[in-house]
Amino acid sequence: MRNIRFSRKQLCIPYALFLFCFVILPLAVIVYYAFTDGSGRFTLANLVSFFTNGNTIGTLCYSLVIAAVVTAVCLLVAYPAAYVLARSGLRRGPVILMLFILPMWINFTLRITALKEILTVLEGNLSLHPFLNTVIAMTYDYLPFMILPLYTTLLQLDESLLEAAADLGAGPAAVFLRVTLPLSMPGVVSGIMMTFLPAMTNYVILDMMYNSTYIMGSLIGSYFNIYDWNNGSMISLILFAVICIVTLITGRGEQNNAENRGAVL
Amino acid sequence: MTAEKKTDQISCRKGGRLRGRSFRLLAGTAALLTVSLSCPQGGAIRVSAAPASGQTEKSEDKVTLRIANWEEYIDEGDWDEEEAIDLDDREGTVILGENSMVEDFEEWYLETYGVEVEVEYSTFGTNEDLYNQLTLGNEFDLVCPSEYMFMKLIAEERLQPLSEEFFDIENEQNYYVRGVSDYIRNIFDTNTINGEPWSRYAAGYMWGTTGIVYNPEEISGEDASHWSILADPRYKGQVTIKDNVRDSYFAALGILHEEELLQPDFINSADRLERIADLMNRTDADTVSAAEEILKQMKENAYSFESDSGKADMVTGKVLANYQWSGDAVYTLDQAEIDDYYLAYAVPEECTNVWFDGWVMLRDGVGGDGAKQQAAEAFINFMSRPDNVVRNMYYIGYTSVVAGGDSDIIYAYADWCYGAEEDAQDTIEYPVGFFFSGDSSDPDYVITAEADQAYRQLYAQYPTQDVLERAVVMQYFDQENNQRINQMWVNVRCFNLASLTGQDWAKIGACAVVLAAAAVIFRKRDDIFRRRDR
Repeated sequence: MRNIRFSRKQLCIPYALFLFCFVILPLAVIVYYAFTDGSGRFTLANLVSFFTNGNTIGTLCYSLVIAAVVTAVCLLVAYPAAYVLARSGLRRGPVILMLFILPMWINFTLRITALKEILTVLEGNLSLHPFLNTVIAMTYDYLPFMILPLYTTLLQLDESLLEAAADLGAGPAAVFLRVTLPLSMPGVVSGIMMTFLPAMTNYVILDMMYNSTYIMGSLIGSYFNIYDWNNGSMISLILFAVICIVTLITGRGEQNNAENRGAVL
Repeated sequence: MTAEKKTDQISCRKGGRLRGRSFRLLAGTAALLTVSLSCPQGGAIRVSAAPASGQTEKSEDKVTLRIANWEEYIDEGDWDEEEAIDLDDREGTVILGENSMVEDFEEWYLETYGVEVEVEYSTFGTNEDLYNQLTLGNEFDLVCPSEYMFMKLIAEERLQPLSEEFFDIENEQNYYVRGVSDYIRNIFDTNTINGEPWSRYAAGYMWGTTGIVYNPEEISGEDASHWSILADPRYKGQVTIKDNVRDSYFAALGILHEEELLQPDFINSADRLERIADLMNRTDADTVSAAEEILKQMKENAYSFESDSGKADMVTGKVLANYQWSGDAVYTLDQAEIDDYYLAYAVPEECTNVWFDGWVMLRDGVGGDGAKQQAAEAFINFMSRPDNVVRNMYYIGYTSVVAGGDSDIIYAYADWCYGAEEDAQDTIEYPVGFFFSGDSSDPDYVITAEADQAYRQLYAQYPTQDVLERAVVMQYFDQENNQRINQMWVNVRCFNLASLTGQDWAKIGACAVVLAAAAVIFRKRDDIFRRRDR
């Protein structure tokens, strides 16, 4: 009986099992399909066809552009808001923050449906600006994910550092650019990752906003719909690679500050 | 019938119970004879409980029947008492779904065949979902895909043929073969794949046409009666198109061949239907690339491609016209009616696509298991029993392939739905004999309806003979042709770098320069601001 000792390591077993069954295994299946043809023979044709087909490359670019624009807009909107909430000592700061977060408690399809109605009133006809509408809807959906990490890092900012900078002769702009901004970079990076990555793949919002141009997610879906699992898997794998690259690039500058990484990520 | 079709229907099923109509029965029904409901000729059926064809050996073994159907595509029972349908047929039948159809079937099967059956009922969202499930090893005995999917399954030899007993017209319990409309029977007998008729494997369930739901105050019936409305610049941003390749391709071919399809010579030719079918099933490279151009135009012109939102956008008035299947058209019209908003349904004059959902048995499931096959076939028959047909039609809002045979219940139901009130002023005589008896001029099957039903729900549910004379089946295309069409669809839907003009590239270049400058400034911010601060 003694040798069945319960050690702390064993607490990881459920997670490891989960990881294996639902992350590693499916990924292995995707890799298998991506590098085989319809009859199961190894091939690189799927990879080659991705990079030689104007449609797939164009779709990748379109997805990247959407994701980049959404992330940029989110950052531009969220940073000042988070800064004000965290730094200006508003008594009701947390309440206002709650107002930003509140929409997340409501199912997103419902929120997007409501947004559709509002935009219809504003624009008259949704079909006239599909790209703009997509960006608005995604920004709306992902804004809390940008604000939260920014808010937490800005909140933890050491006031004395700012005072020191000011004492040493830095004007407000210099204090912001040389102290506040660099110190809040961990929050910025978390925010970017939490908006860029889903914006890259979320095609439900596009669908709901009547943007009839495919992005990566819908392209993968269309391949699976016609039983072309091999090309579909290859596109998924490439999307996965793109996301890995983005994560690496944004994460690299942050290694020095690893211990400061916002409380959210 | 096509990929996303039923995803649409999901959202409508509940509403598909046509609440808009229930006021009529409130006025009409005084006594609710709920006793006779679930089984109008109940006595007769129960007396003949011994299996007529003798294919059953009395077995104590329980049969498990695994059925997969579209979501919300069967009566789930639990109707309110006031929802009872008081029909004006010979027997004065009252229809009310108390229990779910599946429970009723289990009970009926035990009574009729003396065998206990347990139905494992599951649902799927699209034909492709079902196919993928089958491929991944999910086993079913009886499934209900659309016609192109069961054609694919027949071609792949995955289906079990229906037994001879199923087609025995003498057997009272064979409601399907005794009741199916001649029009449908003919289509199932004459359409073949790999030389085998559909009817060898498939029994129909629901059917309909495709057409245009439109707002008659903004769009003339004439405009709505051509496929070209979907690409008409006058209605830019006002029409929706189906977000699936088969339906969109069909519409594009309708536009492509419009001139030929409308020529008087063509229309009056004896073999018009065959010629339409030939034109609309072309998949050669030239046709496909011509269709691609039309679809790109449609994409630019349309409000959206939709697989789910078209009905709601039509009802709320966001769009003026909407490419729709007849079943969903009925639902859309009903929904709009609740808000006193009256829409109409048009079937393009060029041609329309007649579609089916049908029951087929899978070889993997029932193959070799006689008891199972008998239960599966009995299920099809039970679903085709006239009172059950009415229950399903009421619940779903679609049109059954069953006309009723000896029973007049289904016709009575159509009349109950669409017959005008006695004091109605503006009425028409709407013949439905084409479907019910095979003869449009049959005086027994003429509904006296309000005049506008000629282009409203009645027209969508029971099209007139002239519609069916231009209604063709869209075939299942083989691997090579399918690939070509799918590639065309991806071309339409994807953003292609080649589509950028020189001007676009200039803009992109300008943006890149601005971004690069911003990055440089950010990098050098220390130098820049130090100088200014001093």
